[in-house]
Formats: sequence, structure tokens, C-alpha cells
Amino acid sequence: MIQQIKEKAKELLDSGAVSCVIGYERASDGLTARPLFVYEAEDIDRLIFDETCTHNLVKYLLNRKDEPTAIVVKPCDARALNVLLGEKQLRRENVFIIGVTCPGVVKTGWNKKGDELEARCQVCTQHTPPIYDFLVGEPIEEPSPPITFSDVTDLEGKSAAERASFWAEQFERCIRCYACRDVCPGCYCTECQVEQLDPEWVSIRFTPEENLMWHVMRAFHLAGRCIGCNECERVCPVNIPLSLLNRKLEQEVSALFDFQAGLADDARAPLATFKKDEKLGIGEWHE
Amino acid sequence: MARIIAKKDLASWLQELLKGHTIIAPTSVGEFTMFRPITSPEEIAFDFDNTALSPKEWFFPKAESLITQDNGDKEPMPQVIDKLVIFGIRPCDAKGLTVLDKALHGTPFDALYSQRRDRAILIGVACSKPGPQCFCTTMGSAPDDASNVDIMLTEVDDGYIVETVTKKGQELMANVPLSESESPPPQVAPPAVIEGTTEAMTESMAERYWSRLADRCLHCHICAFVCPTCYCTQTRDYDSQGTVEQLRCWYSCQAQGFTCIAGNTLNPTKADRMRHRFYHKLPYFTDQLGSGYATCVGCGRCVTACPVNIDIREVIADTKQRNPLYRSN
Repeated sequence: MIQQIKEKAKELLDSGAVSCVIGYERASDGLTARPLFVYEAEDIDRLIFDETCTHNLVKYLLNRKDEPTAIVVKPCDARALNVLLGEKQLRRENVFIIGVTCPGVVKTGWNKKGDELEARCQVCTQHTPPIYDFLVGEPIEEPSPPITFSDVTDLEGKSAAERASFWAEQFERCIRCYACRDVCPGCYCTECQVEQLDPEWVSIRFTPEENLMWHVMRAFHLAGRCIGCNECERVCPVNIPLSLLNRKLEQEVSALFDFQAGLADDARAPLATFKKDEKLGIGEWHE
Repeated sequence: MARIIAKKDLASWLQELLKGHTIIAPTSVGEFTMFRPITSPEEIAFDFDNTALSPKEWFFPKAESLITQDNGDKEPMPQVIDKLVIFGIRPCDAKGLTVLDKALHGTPFDALYSQRRDRAILIGVACSKPGPQCFCTTMGSAPDDASNVDIMLTEVDDGYIVETVTKKGQELMANVPLSESESPPPQVAPPAVIEGTTEAMTESMAERYWSRLADRCLHCHICAFVCPTCYCTQTRDYDSQGTVEQLRCWYSCQAQGFTCIAGNTLNPTKADRMRHRFYHKLPYFTDQLGSGYATCVGCGRCVTACPVNIDIREVIADTKQRNPLYRSN
């Protein structure tokens, strides 16, 4: 698998088709992976691909909009790429997509490699990228499990007071490092709302209330756009279960609009479009 | 000859201290170890390599009001905990506070930080098992370095070897039963020293080195917020229903909008900001204050917390190994 990636990377760099290949290399712990930008052929041998390659590299393309770039994507990452293409944030002709079939990645941290698959991979229904120029790996024929939201429904089974205290406890830890935003391919505003001064939507004060405001706002901006790569949750230094918020909105969007983000490169997020026949959710559509 | 406090005596002494002091100690919070106020010595966690965040936040809070004024009535300055004991601080973090003092407790002088520092007593616990991310020895400290605490405890089988370093420490332990012991302190394998010379960084370091390293940076604030010596803040004024408040919060030099409040961005690219960070952590302070005052203390938190594995130890090593990207020529 990695040999195919390396050969393709060499071919693309040597021919000048791209000026950079974004992939993975071994991290400084000697165990897990980290992103790698390959500009010169001599660095190609640093490329790896294995079950620790959890990062979604698509975010980096936003820094290279005008440069022809090749990128290694897993199926979930490819969906993020579709979202960005659909939102006209990238030029298709500037991106060469090396898609890899993916049986799932494991939970990792620095110098930590779990045995179990990431939670998102355990419920993943897509093992082949929905978009690619070059496919690496054998197609995975494993039957896709139905989409479930048991994590969301478990939490929803609790009373409002229990849920409020659950989230208050989570958000109390938030240090507002904004890593959740900075890693998210869907977060590309040149000026984020949290940095706007007039009006100031979110105070710089680190309180559970302001932290809640930030996280709810972030999740809502990704409604119908989040592809569930869970990078926000992975990078969180204080382990706030942000995927629960994203998954709740994914569930709502799925029920209201029968829509899953990132399956096609020309799909538009339901909240960015209006169709007369769509359900509104609150009450019913009235003529 | 070492003086030893038995483990049960330590617990009862801390219990006694709790009557007149606020004790902040490492406690288990979910899967993390964090410095939190304790109500009983039983809450203290001992089995960890280091806490998720440094105890810096107890001297330099994430957010604090500098001024509040309510309809013309002046509020007192924010409360400073009077008798504060930080228990279980690691040598690296204690050194971090000494470094922070250079920035906030001298000239310039930060009143709130200084008051907290003056009123606090640091009880260090030596590391018995440095983690794989630790490199305190590279930054001039050691797992049993007692030079920046008031009292140092080193675990032995039946208790802790007590070293009262300062007068404050001696006074605090004046009436504590200690036994004498012949047994030597345990030998702890210190983290390996990373070969590199941070002085060399002051020579021109290639632009391309930083831009390549910054390629994968997400410009989030994690490294600055977990760092025991980062002290950048942003300040905003709030005016709501007759209450005026000036609020100061942690901020990171890696943020895109850093220094924008002054009307301009000094370091517009990720590479500029990253170079600034590593220069600030390595040569800037040593140039001004002499070796021993590098703002990096080798705690390794940024190494483990960085979501994309930007590793300061590799930067130090690169200065020595003359990474091909290192020099511009």
C-alpha cells in the first residue's frame, strides 16, 4: 500500500504535476503518525501509511489553494474534501487525490497507540473514498453497518438537568485553545466569530457559559457540513466529547433533510439551500 | 544523613495544614492529573509523570479581572489566596515559576502575580519516573532539582526524604516529626540530554526551516496554554449596565490575530509565529539573562499535547545536527 503511495508521489513530483504531496510520516514517538509535506523526491521515503494515520490532512489544502498539491485521504477525509469542493474553497484541478481504502484507524495520542478502532471507525459505513484520482489498497467489501446514533440517544435518554450538568462539567475544562476549530476542515472563515470584536459574540472570559456559547456556535456552523472525522475531539487537550454535539446535528440533518455531508463534490449543505418541499422540523410546512 | 517523614505523618501534617492554608495539589480529574484545591490529603495523586496543565494557573490565572468598577464604587482588587501551598510541584514546573518571575515579578512588575508568588509556598515532589517526553536535564534542571522550591520531598520506601530549602519551608515544617535515615536517596535515571546548542539559534536560521516546520502547525493555542512559562495575554474592557471591567486572559503567540489589538500583526505567517515561539523558548531569555533562564524548562507538555507533533526537542537537536534546512546560504 505504502509502496503505491510512494511511487505515485514520486511520479507526481518528478513530472511537476504537483509541487507538494501531503501525507503521513512517523511521529517523534516512533509509534504514531504525523502530517508530512513532501516537496522534494528525497523525502518520499519518509511517507508511511498505517492504522495510526488518524489526522485529516484536508485542512492543509486551504493553505495551498493556488498550488497544485497531492494529498493522501482516507474515506472520511475525502468527504471533507468534497465539502470544501462543494463550497468552492478549492479548485479541483489543483488537487490530486490519492485515496486509500481504510478499515479504520486506532485511537492514538503521543506515544500512545490503542488496540481498539476509533469510535468513529466503529460506526463507519464507508471504506472507500467517495472521490479520488488514484486509489490505493484493495476495496473493502465488508458490509456497512446501518448508521446508528446510540451515543447521542444514550445522552438524550437523560433528564435535562443531567444533560446540563454533564455539559457544564465538560465545558468547565475548556481552555479555549481553539484547536477544535483550527484542525477542522470545515472551519475556514478568515475572521472567526470568536475573534470579532464588534459585536463580541463570545467573551474572552474562560467560563463554562462562554465556553458553552463557543462550542454550540462551532457545532451549529458545521450542521450538515461536518463529515465526522472527529479531529476536533482528537486534538482537544482536555478531552471534551465534541463528537456528541456534531453527531446530534448530523442526526437532525439526516432526519430533516435525508442528507449526509461530503458524499458528492457538488452537494450543497442543506442549511445553505432552500427547497420548497423540504421539512422544516419545527412544526410542519404550511402552504 | 537524610531526614524522613513517614507517609502517614505526611498525611496528618497536610491535614493539619489544611486548617489554615489552601492546598493545591495534583488530583485525578477524569483521565488527567490536574492541580486542584484539596479538602483531604487522600485526594492527592502521586502516581503520574506530570499534570496536564502546569500549576502556573494558580499564579497567573487563565482569566482575571484587573479592574472592576461598579457605579462609581471601587471594588477591591481581585482576591489573592492568602496562605497558598502548592503541593507536589515537579522540579521543571518550579523552575518555570522562577522563569516567570523574571518576566512578571521584577521589572516589569505584575502586582497580582507577585502577590500570589510572595504568599505561596512550594512543596516539590521529585520525579521517580520521568516520562518519555521529559527533557529537563537538557534545560539545566533535573528530576530531583530542589533549587526552585521551599521544601523538596523525595519518595523512599517508608516515606519521603525532606529537604527544607528556604526559610519559609523551614518555618512550615518546624514542628513536624522527622526521623533520621542512613539510606541514600533513590537513584532516578534522568532523561537523556538532547545534544544541541540553543545559542546557535541566534545565528541566522533559515526561513525555510521554519516554514517547513510550520507547514503542519494548526496555529491553535495548545502549546502556549500547557507551557509553564508562557505568559502572553489579551486584555479587553467590558462595560455592562454600569459595571466596567478590564479582563485579562491567556493568549497565544501562535494565534493568527496575535498583537492585532495594537493595530498590526507582527508575525503574519505561521512560520514567523513559530520561529518567534521557539526563539522565545530557547535563546531570547538566555541572551538577556544568562544561561539557566531559557524559558523552556523541559517539561515536555507541548510535546505530548501538540495535535500534529511539533516537537521542541527535534528543534533543539536540529541546531546541533545542522539540519540541511537550518542555515541560509
